Amino acid sequence: MKKQYLLMIILFLMGTYSYAQDRVIEGTVVSASDGLPLIGATVVKKGSTSGATTDLDGRFKLEISEPEILVVSFIGFAQKEVAVNPDQTGDLNISLEEDITKLNEVVVSGLASSVKRSNLGNAVATVSAEELTGMTNQPTMDNALYGKVTGVNITSSSGAPGGGIAMRLRGVTSITGNNQPLFIIDGVYVSNAEIPSGLRNASGANSGNEENASNRIADLAPSDIENIEVLKGPSAAAIYGARANAGVVIITTKRGKRGETRVNLTQDVGFSTIQRKVGIGQRNWTPALVGETFGPDEVARYNAALNGRGLVDYEEEIYGETGLITDTKISATGGSEKTKFYVGASLRDEEGIIKNTGYTRASVRANIDHQLTDRIKFTTSSNFVNSTTQRGFTGNENEGGLSVGYNMAFTRPWANLYPDEFGNYPDNPNAAGNMLLVRDQALNDEVINRYIQGASIDISLYETDQSFLKFKWNGGFDTYNLETYVYVPEYHQAQRGLQNGFIGVGKNSIFNTNNQGFLVWDNYLSGGSVQLTSQVGYTYITFDRDLVYNQATQLIPGQTTLGQSGTQEFDQTLQNVREFGFFAQQEVNYEDKIIGTLGIRADKSTLNAEQNQFYYFPKASIALNLANFDFWNLDLFNQFKLRAAYGETGSSATFGSLYTSFQAVNIGGSPGVSVGGLRGSENLIPETASEFETGIDVTLLENKLSFTATYYNRNISDLILQRALQPSSGFGLEVTNLADLQNQGLELALNASPVQNENFVWTSTTNFWFNRSNVTRLDVPPFAPAGSGFGLGLGTAFIEEGQPVTQLKGTIDGEVVTVGDAEPDFQTSFLNNFTIFKNFDFSFLIHVKQGGSNLNLTTYLTDLAGLTGDLDDPSGIERTSNPNTDRFIEDASYMRLREIALYYRLPESAVSVFNGAVNKIKIGASGRNLWTITPYTGYDPEVSAKGGAGLSTGLDVNPFPSTKQVYVHLALEF
Amino acid sequence: MKNINIKSIASGLLAFSMLFFYSCEFEDQIDPNNPNLQQYNQDATVNELNNIVVGMESGMRNGYTLYVTSTGTIARELYLFNADPRNTEELLGKNGGQLDNNVFYLNGPYNGSYTNVKNANILLNALDNTEFVSDQEANGYRGFANTVIALQELRVLNMLDENGIRIDVADPDNLGPFVSKDAALTHIADLLNTANTQLGNAGAEFPFSLSSGFDGFNTPETFAQFNRALAARVAIYREEWAAVPGFLEDSFFDLNGDLTVGPKHSFSTASGDLLNGLFKIPGNNGDMIVVHDRLTQGEDTLDLRVIRKMAKRENAASQDDLNGDYETALYPSPTSPVDIIRNEELVLISAEAKLQSGDIAGAIADLDIIRNSAGLDPYSGVETTAAVTDELLEQRQYSLWCEGHTMVDLRRYGRLNADNLPIDREGDQVFSQFPVPLTELD
Repeated sequence: MKKQYLLMIILFLMGTYSYAQDRVIEGTVVSASDGLPLIGATVVKKGSTSGATTDLDGRFKLEISEPEILVVSFIGFAQKEVAVNPDQTGDLNISLEEDITKLNEVVVSGLASSVKRSNLGNAVATVSAEELTGMTNQPTMDNALYGKVTGVNITSSSGAPGGGIAMRLRGVTSITGNNQPLFIIDGVYVSNAEIPSGLRNASGANSGNEENASNRIADLAPSDIENIEVLKGPSAAAIYGARANAGVVIITTKRGKRGETRVNLTQDVGFSTIQRKVGIGQRNWTPALVGETFGPDEVARYNAALNGRGLVDYEEEIYGETGLITDTKISATGGSEKTKFYVGASLRDEEGIIKNTGYTRASVRANIDHQLTDRIKFTTSSNFVNSTTQRGFTGNENEGGLSVGYNMAFTRPWANLYPDEFGNYPDNPNAAGNMLLVRDQALNDEVINRYIQGASIDISLYETDQSFLKFKWNGGFDTYNLETYVYVPEYHQAQRGLQNGFIGVGKNSIFNTNNQGFLVWDNYLSGGSVQLTSQVGYTYITFDRDLVYNQATQLIPGQTTLGQSGTQEFDQTLQNVREFGFFAQQEVNYEDKIIGTLGIRADKSTLNAEQNQFYYFPKASIALNLANFDFWNLDLFNQFKLRAAYGETGSSATFGSLYTSFQAVNIGGSPGVSVGGLRGSENLIPETASEFETGIDVTLLENKLSFTATYYNRNISDLILQRALQPSSGFGLEVTNLADLQNQGLELALNASPVQNENFVWTSTTNFWFNRSNVTRLDVPPFAPAGSGFGLGLGTAFIEEGQPVTQLKGTIDGEVVTVGDAEPDFQTSFLNNFTIFKNFDFSFLIHVKQGGSNLNLTTYLTDLAGLTGDLDDPSGIERTSNPNTDRFIEDASYMRLREIALYYRLPESAVSVFNGAVNKIKIGASGRNLWTITPYTGYDPEVSAKGGAGLSTGLDVNPFPSTKQVYVHLALEF
Repeated sequence: MKNINIKSIASGLLAFSMLFFYSCEFEDQIDPNNPNLQQYNQDATVNELNNIVVGMESGMRNGYTLYVTSTGTIARELYLFNADPRNTEELLGKNGGQLDNNVFYLNGPYNGSYTNVKNANILLNALDNTEFVSDQEANGYRGFANTVIALQELRVLNMLDENGIRIDVADPDNLGPFVSKDAALTHIADLLNTANTQLGNAGAEFPFSLSSGFDGFNTPETFAQFNRALAARVAIYREEWAAVPGFLEDSFFDLNGDLTVGPKHSFSTASGDLLNGLFKIPGNNGDMIVVHDRLTQGEDTLDLRVIRKMAKRENAASQDDLNGDYETALYPSPTSPVDIIRNEELVLISAEAKLQSGDIAGAIADLDIIRNSAGLDPYSGVETTAAVTDELLEQRQYSLWCEGHTMVDLRRYGRLNADNLPIDREGDQVFSQFPVPLTELD
């Protein structure tokens, strides 16, 4: 009831004011660099909400009655203040300078409000379309972020085309739950799930996360993105409540602009090759060495091969393909006063470096903005994606004979795996499967049909010069069908006599919805020197998953559908989650000098044991713009801001954690029940993170140099652990709140534009960041989290009070000791853009990760097989004579040229030969990951054998090798 | 006009929001995918009870494959060459390394056994809290459950040996202490006796059915014969030689009968069922159970058991500096059943009890039944306790190869050590028992 009163007060108690409006002033807003008009720039009377936007010619009109200061702003340009008075005559010509410091950029500050970056109390990273995809072609959105934002750590669970990326913001935030941020695209909560295909049932991999499934954010075409805001922790993301523990990534897609319709067409063509080979089987073989390693009988086979086919480099044979990548994008934007549109379509086709792997993504997007009346604005954003992936077989397995890497690790170079003249593949004499057969004749495919629809309505309820009240609603849904298909022919050597052929078909439907409504009230007091923004609202979120998996074995030879089989199995998993929350937030801005925010979010979820209990997540922040105070007289500084923020967020347990259930079993065709591994917890509460962040933002030398430093301290309490129970209890695992975790870190960023003249523009960004974690409470004895490794002998993550959560433990001489830490010491990146003679753009991004250990179990396997290339060198001899875990630990530091690009924009004179049919032409060449220096001996120091969730980083087990790519680009604007 | 419109829109929106707010009362959550454990606490139906019985029979196979391959590797009767190198490294103590206490070859059989003990305890608890079964029927369930608990605990004890095991595990929040090996064996023997009494009061028919693996052992009377056979096995472990004949008498022991008779773990390709993990594709690479060469040297290969259970490979198997010419042929197909205990073992138990009671001639007579079945001539060695003990262990080794016995048998006679077993690689060790699992430590 209280709310209704509030509205009454707002609606009826506010007086209306009227002003004598006797003069109209007119003017034009242009870009200082080229003098072209800026369309859609805003011109507002300082300290009020009334103003105008510029039209197609960059012109505006505004009524004034007394001397005013006009605040003129446009995205990407430095804000400017212009004094006017009613007596003034003639046109105002206002020119805006380009802004490299982004001070003026608008950043979200609440669910329904935004704030200028210069007034922000948090460190919010923003990545523009230009930064994201401007340099080189990006296969997926998440991959494109690495090195461009401080505090981000990315690992790749698969180098296969189509994704498989794990992204962490400011360290590990959960041990069992999702460590990946919440992704929101145009107001829609989108799924970034990794849904396994069930191929473990053929390969013998331990769990679904070893299947190297792709993550579903890969469905978003990077070219549609206008900008990305990264809320790295609770201090910025508190308003997202119980889903924001791992941060929030807010993606805004491109929208229409008023003006002539522009059509952009870009064509990228690229090639993908393996970054490096590790040299499996590349020892200096002699008959003596073969005999010594594999026994006397093997020498005859070795000699036979030498007299026949010769030795085969199977690593080259399998991973040596050059993948062709084509990416075609076309988009049109335009609009009238009332309606604006962006429509875009893209088609990406990417071949992997393993034959018969690849990824195709077709995406269509339509974003429409419509001004229904003066007061009502409506937007809709629709995106349909169809993608198909051939993932191939890589990673860990047990006796399935499918993972090409795993079997390659045991295959001797003189083994003949090539098919005979009749197309029959021989059995692999050294391993459970013939990689060539798997590559050529087994299938591991995914097909996605995905539709994401967002919509919003803005209603201006009440408006005066000093205040306005707005109702805002937005919502949408994300739905997709993921179909997986795994096929292993019955004549595969690990199938014969056992499963006799395998088909796994997954039909997974996902339907997520969210909607939220807000009231936002902006109010200016004291003649405009104090701006108050209040908002209240609710959020309702639903997640529905229906995962159906069907499996057939004992196949009728040659058949590839489920029914053509002797044995079928079915499995269905339903997961339905409902969440509801409300929130309120108050922002105060005193003359852009002191900006404060207070807010609270309350959430309840069916994932919690008390499904109707609200959990509260408060936040507060303050920013002091010292340079705006009167006492500040250092003209050197354009901005000198001190800021501090505190916020709390939550994360509920994963679905099913509450239940102690039986699982279905069978013997001889009779169904029965047996205790499942998991003991549910009846008093499970969400894990909550509280973060304090403080920092300083300095801009100086006429906005040519800016520096940002942020320190954060995040404490995650009541961490949800999947704790191994004493197995004699009959239960293997229990999900409980048992630990606290602290993450502390520092993030520094330096933006500079050292040279800016007609023929040479240089802008440069240097980022530096690190994170340190510490388990500050653990109510149980130290333990290895289930599924985070392969037991202590091979090294595993190990949760222990007083130690980093990312530490790796192993055994040395029978003692359990710390052998490494997956957390990097620090990371730094160096991004530079040069514009030379106006038409050439050259840019590169170098990324350095210092420290962090990987467990290289790929080498472990090739050691066992006697096939590691360095076995006869001191390094190999030392490694193989060491029985302890530390022999697998390797330094995963690297320096990588992540992106490099050179573009040429054809001068107008050259473009004009098309008689105006074409406005702009740009051509270029670029590369990704072209060059890496690392002491790491595996395929790629960024690796994770166990998918994106949990403590999975740094485990290297025969991954799909990472690739490097070169592209040529052509972009046309009509 | 416009203001009124806006106001009504606003009130409508707000009313909508408020409605939303109050309609968002979430209902209690139940697992949409699986039956809940709670429902067995009160008034479990016969159907529900029988579902657990099926679950228990199915669960008896949990971890069995690893139990056999892990103990068999330590006892140097086989190697497991597959994707996991720890089967040839840690289990053989390569380079002086130790057994891990948090690893599949221990956790698999250990957890699998106790999961099934939990199933049995849920069944026992449900029986105390339901009125849907008669006392006689309840005795049938209880006799079955307690026999299964005894078998599962015995498997764990065989692995952990002197480390002892937990026997009081009914309340997951208050687990009993680890008890010594002797106390555990006594407990298992008592449990089998309790079960036997319960089976005696269970009428003529069980209220549940078992799979084809228990054909011939699926009534209270015949299931009790299985129970007594297990009691005989426990008795030789406890060296209670005098009690053995009585247990054998009440079991399905038959000196002149078919040695293969006995209850079995069955396997099928039915949805949700398991395949026999000890079946390996003949001639396959990358996943093999390889016979340790010490069992297939010279004259051994004339033994019908070697001919039936072991097959010479076309290419000798080698991995991790270990080699073997023979691989398993114990099970012809992935749905071949696995014997839990069979008459052949009972004859060997009879021989052992006689030998240890001083009846050497009787022991030799029993062993000759085994020798005869293996196509061997009758025993012709010296008739001393020591020599016949060697002969007994030799026969057990071949009769029960790859069935999880050899490690226990060698240990019982102090032979599970490097003096009595070959060390295949320099630096290898012979372990005598598995450690307590890491997760089991208090």
